[in-house]
Amino acid sequence: MVKEMLTGNFAAAWGARLSGVDYVPAFPITPQTEIIEVISKWVNSGVMDTKFTNMDSEHSMITAAGTAAATGARVFSATSSQGLLYGCEMLYAVAGWRVPFVLINVSRGLSAPITLEPDHNDVLSARDTGLIQLHVETCQEILDTILMAFRIAEDERVFLPVLINMDGFYLSFTREPVEIPGLDEVREFLPEYRPGHAFFLASKPMAQGVAVLGGSVYSYFRYQMHLASSNALRVHNEVAAEFKSIFGRAYSAVEPFKTEDAEYIILMTNSFTVKGKDAVNRFREKGIKVGLVRLRLVRPFPFQELREYLRGKKALAVIDQNISPGSGGILYNEVTSALYHEPNRPGAVLSFIGGLGGKDISLAEFSFILDEMQKSVETGIVPETQLLYTEQDMKNMNNFLNIAGKG
Amino acid sequence: MKRIRFHGRGGQGMKTASRIVGTASFLEGYIAQDCPVYGAERRGAPIQAYTRVSKNPILERGVIVHPDITIIADETLLDDRTANVFQGVYGGTITMINTHYSSAHVRERFGISGKIVTLDMTDIVLTQIGKPVLSSVAAASASKLTGMVTRQSLKEAIVRELFSVDIPKEVVKKNVEAALICFDRTPDIHIDHSEPMKEDNTFVKLEYSGPYLGTPSTYARGNTVLKKTGNWRLFKPVIDHERCSRCRACFVHCPHSCISLDTAGYPRIDYENCKGCLICLEECPKKVILKKREVREW
Repeated sequence: MVKEMLTGNFAAAWGARLSGVDYVPAFPITPQTEIIEVISKWVNSGVMDTKFTNMDSEHSMITAAGTAAATGARVFSATSSQGLLYGCEMLYAVAGWRVPFVLINVSRGLSAPITLEPDHNDVLSARDTGLIQLHVETCQEILDTILMAFRIAEDERVFLPVLINMDGFYLSFTREPVEIPGLDEVREFLPEYRPGHAFFLASKPMAQGVAVLGGSVYSYFRYQMHLASSNALRVHNEVAAEFKSIFGRAYSAVEPFKTEDAEYIILMTNSFTVKGKDAVNRFREKGIKVGLVRLRLVRPFPFQELREYLRGKKALAVIDQNISPGSGGILYNEVTSALYHEPNRPGAVLSFIGGLGGKDISLAEFSFILDEMQKSVETGIVPETQLLYTEQDMKNMNNFLNIAGKG
Repeated sequence: MKRIRFHGRGGQGMKTASRIVGTASFLEGYIAQDCPVYGAERRGAPIQAYTRVSKNPILERGVIVHPDITIIADETLLDDRTANVFQGVYGGTITMINTHYSSAHVRERFGISGKIVTLDMTDIVLTQIGKPVLSSVAAASASKLTGMVTRQSLKEAIVRELFSVDIPKEVVKKNVEAALICFDRTPDIHIDHSEPMKEDNTFVKLEYSGPYLGTPSTYARGNTVLKKTGNWRLFKPVIDHERCSRCRACFVHCPHSCISLDTAGYPRIDYENCKGCLICLEECPKKVILKKREVREW
């Protein structure tokens, strides 16, 4: 084990290298590029015994990943934003083929207007494809989650591709200390892949992803995917327990932070959660009982765990770093529907949109959220979805409108 | 925790500077975090990079709004409104500016709060390294101002970071020398722990504003003509028209179309937009183009 300063992208490359992947089909897109640059360099210098192919697009890349996985190879790939959307058609296909591989998405806001900084509309657009989705908070978690993701994907109870989401810039180009585990430890946790499942062989003809007409066959297979995805929750928890016993770091489908005696809960995902934790610490110093819940597993959705952490709380605020135009926050809708039949659910569940396109979420914004929660508890009135936007933001915006000739 | 914000132009090495300070702090046993932020990558575009150094786990990420230390590696950014180099500077901030001017001059001209330190880093690197790359020297100044990084860790961090991007050994050595000079010339001043600026806590509710305002469209005429890109040039190419044969090689090769021909066919340089890449000097078959170091007046 060594500890080094690594960017999130570098940590992802290390995850792939330690996993002993056989094949990496790749197509570069900012801010993911560094992942495949590092891997291609390692493959070229011989420290990584892996087949690397630079593809012509993300659509081909996902296809190559799926077909290679169908031969029994261990496959890794990475993309971002528009790239994920371009490959989206094939995400449904590879999930339907029930082939295990690991795909990283480096979150970046979607066009238009174009940006390079993160929010989660890209990854959440793949929400219903059938891929397992894990959303990570730190550079360490990226590396660790890749090792865990191969175990989940390759488990007979799941057999689905796993998509890991990490934020552009806030993780991709951010360096922080990361422990790189030794190969022996990794092999103990993640042995070489020996597929016990039917896979393509030149000597053994078979067909995968065949056409089915008449809905009953189609329904059967689609529902099988749902069951497989649901199984992934149990498998994730088993794998996480084993990971902890070997590496000492604990991960759970839902990560609680100071929730036990909390009256107010903030729910978030991904790397901005560290700012939420900082805010919780500051509120606690003032004696206000606030906690935070991070959703790590987004698909399958961890209904039970979430209900347990939120039961009996005065209020909950969901911060969505995405926007579903005409509806609001995507996770808000999922969280509230998970709580509907919980008799002891939080008295008020508030919806906030923040951090879009990498916009900072400041302490003042967390204070605003807390105030709104307290107000809702007192009055019984829950406000509609609110965008976290300050007067200063508006001032900056007006400045840009002037520059654009709209003053 | 110390929060350091680096301002520079694409190509000057601010990302590497932030990494050198990150690595040096890590080697000192601190928890460090470094991160660049940029748009579409392009030489000369204003970029920022950030380093956080702390004894405790860092519960922050991304942009540093209220820096404790600001390093402005390119003085021409001071006048660029979009670069926003003084954003969030408060009474406790130490601002280090790469310029030959005194700190008193900077304070008078820009009226900023906090402590101001100036040092002509460009002069040091041109003498020591021979190239205007500022990563090691900017890192050295920032390291000194944190009061948390020793000369030894700084040296080791420069070696590690520059080797990792395949810089030849002798160039790395020159970088270390230049950095140590900068480290020693940077004053040993400490950060006052005055309260950072208050964050804006007035929230607004956006109303529907129609397609004219509500879409990312631009109706203003381009303002690129107002951006004098020759503003941040270090060396000025000067053509000796006495010896020029009017072969047009410089006119053809100028990547920014900053050389035009006068009625007699002699090349004329548009100094408002010439970035000083000196390709004209390289391409001139008679070598009648000279380079002249420029020091700005402001």
